[in-house]
Amino acid sequence: MKANARHHGKVTVVDLSGKITIGEGDIKLRDAVNALLDEGRKNIILNLSGVSYMDSAGIGELVACYKRAAEKGATLKLLNPSGKVQDLLILTRLQEIFDIFRDEREALASF
Amino acid sequence: MGRRVKLKLGSRIAYVDLVHEVAEDLARDAHFSKSDALNIGLAVREAVINAIKHGNAMDETKSVEIEFEENEKSFRVRVRDQGPGFDWEQTADPREERNMFRSSGRGIFFMKHFVDRVAFLRRRGRGTEVILEKRLQPAGRQGRGGAMKRRKG
Ligand SMILES: Nc1ncnc2c1ncn2[C@@H]1O[C@H](COP(=O)(O)OP(=O)(O)OP(=O)(O)O)[C@@H](O)[C@H]1O
Ligand SMILES: [Mg+2]
Repeated sequence: MKANARHHGKVTVVDLSGKITIGEGDIKLRDAVNALLDEGRKNIILNLSGVSYMDSAGIGELVACYKRAAEKGATLKLLNPSGKVQDLLILTRLQEIFDIFRDEREALASF
Repeated sequence: MGRRVKLKLGSRIAYVDLVHEVAEDLARDAHFSKSDALNIGLAVREAVINAIKHGNAMDETKSVEIEFEENEKSFRVRVRDQGPGFDWEQTADPREERNMFRSSGRGIFFMKHFVDRVAFLRRRGRGTEVILEKRLQPAGRQGRGGAMKRRKG
């Protein structure tokens, strides 16, 4: 899994690619989000378009990131989950918790 | 006819990807679609993670056995650990309001979603066995096409 952060004014987009699974992807996701929260970033978009799948550890870390962001007064939103990831978000009802966007400009403008 | 593959591994999270990959490949060989094979791989992944984490409590000297069994009707995977077992009737539904924000508790739920049957067995004094089973759809066009492609390649 790879995570690259891009800053657009007050919003940060993190492009994630690969798979978010136990022992690697979940840790990289946690580290990437924690680094942004520590820098004081408040508006974060996780771009999931390049993520092929996640397992329970990856999904669990996504929820953990959401909670940590909220504790720091920050907001985490999701962009473009691929087919499998979208299925998992629906299955777990996490699509009811997260704001999910199809279009990056719309996501950026939503903060 | 049927084919059987057996793996025996130490309890290391680093082996999870390997088992997932083997499961997905064998499912493809057994003529499951790409998406069904990924679902089988994901279910096996969850069972193996649980065997390592909860069953064998991350003790690398304890082993996890994975047995893949294929016949004309289904693909069956058994995952065995050396742990104390647990009460599998009591697992919480991760979709319930009070569980949605938890960062764990979704593995067994995923298994049940990804395959047709999930069963647990307690092996007297020898750990837990999880059985995952997915049925092959009756030989339709899709299945035969897949078989032909493989024969040529
Ligand atoms: N092989 C096993 N041996 C012992 N206990 C198990 C085993 N598999 C599951 N359990 C128990 O069942 C619970 C639920 O398992 P499940 O995979 O659904 O969630 P989890 O492993 O806790 O979290 P997640 O899979 O979302 O990371 C576990 O927390 C554990 O207590
Ligand atoms: Mg689990």
